[in-house]
Amino acid sequence: MGIVELTDLHKNYQLGKVEVPAVKGVSFSIEKGDFISIAGPSGSGKTTILNMIGLVDKPSSGEVLIEGKPTSALSDAELTRMRHQSLGFIFQSFNLIPVLNVWENIEFPLLLGQSRVSKEEKADWIDHLIDEVGLADWRMHKPNELSGGQRQRVAIARALVTRPLIVLADEPTANLDSATGEQIIELMKKINRELSTTFIFSTHDAKIVDIADHIIRLRDGLVTENYRRPESDRAGSVGGGSA
Amino acid sequence: MKTTANIAFRNLSRQKKRTFLLGGAIAFGVMIVTLINGFAGAFSANVAENFSHLLAGHIFISGSEKLEGNDELSVIRDDAALQEAVKASGIDVRYMTRRSEFSGTLIFEGKKLRTNVAGVELDKELYLRQRLVLKEGSWDNMSQSQAIILSEKTAARLGVLVGDRILVQTQTVYGQNNVGELTVAGISYDSGILGQMVSYASLAYCNELIGLAPGEYQSMGILTASLKDADKAADILYAKLAESVSMFERQAKDENGAVTPFQRMVREQTKEEWAGVRYRLATINEMLSQVQQIVVALDTAAAVILVVLFLIIMVGIANTFSMVMFERIREIGTMRAMGVQRGGVRAMFLFEALFLAIGGAVAGIVLALIIMGAISLINFGMDSPAFIILKNGHLSFFLPPAKALLNIAIIAALSLVAVARPASNAARLDPAVALRTQK
Repeated sequence: MGIVELTDLHKNYQLGKVEVPAVKGVSFSIEKGDFISIAGPSGSGKTTILNMIGLVDKPSSGEVLIEGKPTSALSDAELTRMRHQSLGFIFQSFNLIPVLNVWENIEFPLLLGQSRVSKEEKADWIDHLIDEVGLADWRMHKPNELSGGQRQRVAIARALVTRPLIVLADEPTANLDSATGEQIIELMKKINRELSTTFIFSTHDAKIVDIADHIIRLRDGLVTENYRRPESDRAGSVGGGSA
Repeated sequence: MKTTANIAFRNLSRQKKRTFLLGGAIAFGVMIVTLINGFAGAFSANVAENFSHLLAGHIFISGSEKLEGNDELSVIRDDAALQEAVKASGIDVRYMTRRSEFSGTLIFEGKKLRTNVAGVELDKELYLRQRLVLKEGSWDNMSQSQAIILSEKTAARLGVLVGDRILVQTQTVYGQNNVGELTVAGISYDSGILGQMVSYASLAYCNELIGLAPGEYQSMGILTASLKDADKAADILYAKLAESVSMFERQAKDENGAVTPFQRMVREQTKEEWAGVRYRLATINEMLSQVQQIVVALDTAAAVILVVLFLIIMVGIANTFSMVMFERIREIGTMRAMGVQRGGVRAMFLFEALFLAIGGAVAGIVLALIIMGAISLINFGMDSPAFIILKNGHLSFFLPPAKALLNIAIIAALSLVAVARPASNAARLDPAVALRTQK
């Protein structure tokens, strides 16, 4: 069984009196350590599926299983707890907390809920992540003092700080220039290899799709392709593999 | 919770102008209320202190003799027992005075004016000399046995000058008409209502006019070390007096806790059947119980202003935080996605409002204290018409710390009520909807 299982997932949105289907019966499985790209044009349902996997949105029907655990019957508080424990988020617009500096933004998820980890251990881990994303000289800076690429690096470190099983990234490179976007994807791939964290990202950037181990293509709320690249054919870096 | 509070505190700096305006409105309201509270706090103490100096005492003992036909004569013929009781009580006495008083008509060149004349031992009443500032004449003139000091207004009404001789028409304590002659020794600055009501003559001549023998008088005034301790000292002294002389009952609270007005209590006691000599003990606070009513009225007005101002400010806070919710909707969505529970979002809004309210209220109190300090530096002079509410010529303030804390607590509570709805709306936001929202 995969780390994430989607079974016959539907999602309808109410637009006035009209019910608009955004996802029309999607089923697929994601394995632990996958670097998976959900690709498709605008309005194909990428973000909706990502939100349902991320437990921030509830499906109209169907089921999302995280580590084999059904989530449709969970309460808001339980879903919130599960998001905190098992999931990390990277957003297109970075969504950093403007009043906190780099270090505090990364620390923030660790301050939620209860933890048995000591303060020193937490601080070491945050420092390690800051070094890992290359922001050692920027740790005391506020988000508005950083470039787009730097902000997204903070967001990546923040998503990883709770050591989640899964990191969800919604169009993580959409607001970045192509060179910075490639660096960000390289960084995520590196972390995926080193920490075996499952990365699920939505994108319509073909270059980024190329680096994924597992590609789900969507069109009009349906899966049109579910391709798992063979181990031998997996890319080490952006532009290094073939679809 | 610490993180939530920390973010809430920092959020106040995001829209500095808005925070400043909203906090400023809270500060202004609290400042007004604090100023009224501060004024009311010192008002009763100042009035009582000033009256106590003019009336020469914090505690007063007056004597009454029952005559035939249930008439009452106000006199202390022999105060040895009283002096003994004062000494035995151990209360801290600064000085004691003896006074008689009559109500009479002053006549000068066809003009008549009804007034009270207090017979005082001026050589002993140093405090009265300090309080009563002479505009014309001199205290030395008071050594003449038939001298009188009039207030500015009284003198003007009669058209008298220092040195003029005026007639006085009164009744003795036995009800016989009597006429005397007084020389204007001095004219004092108008010191409020009491100053206009009372003129001062020598105790000896006053006694002569009202038919009391030399050495007799009507009221003993005891100035204790501090007005604050006067009521406690009065309790001790009353108990001591009751051991040796017959005493009237003191002012008591009824079952509702309300105090009988002093004047009414005296009227009721006069109607009672008793015989011989009795003494009445009263404190300045009991005699000025109506001043307390003014203080209550001022405090009530302050409370009403507080509530009205803050109802208006509450609307501002509620609207601002509704706006804040929409401004930070993506941020709320992000926090919820990262694992912040609904209660955490709600707490963040409540903390922000709480910090704003407490900050504004503290600033308001500090501003009020600065203004109070500045006003209290102004010397209105001992001759000011507002003399009776001044302390040594200065307007003084006293803000009980408990009242200041209560004001902060009220503002904090009202702000929390105002922000409860937007906070609840923010907490109930669907994270997916919040993250999707384009600002």
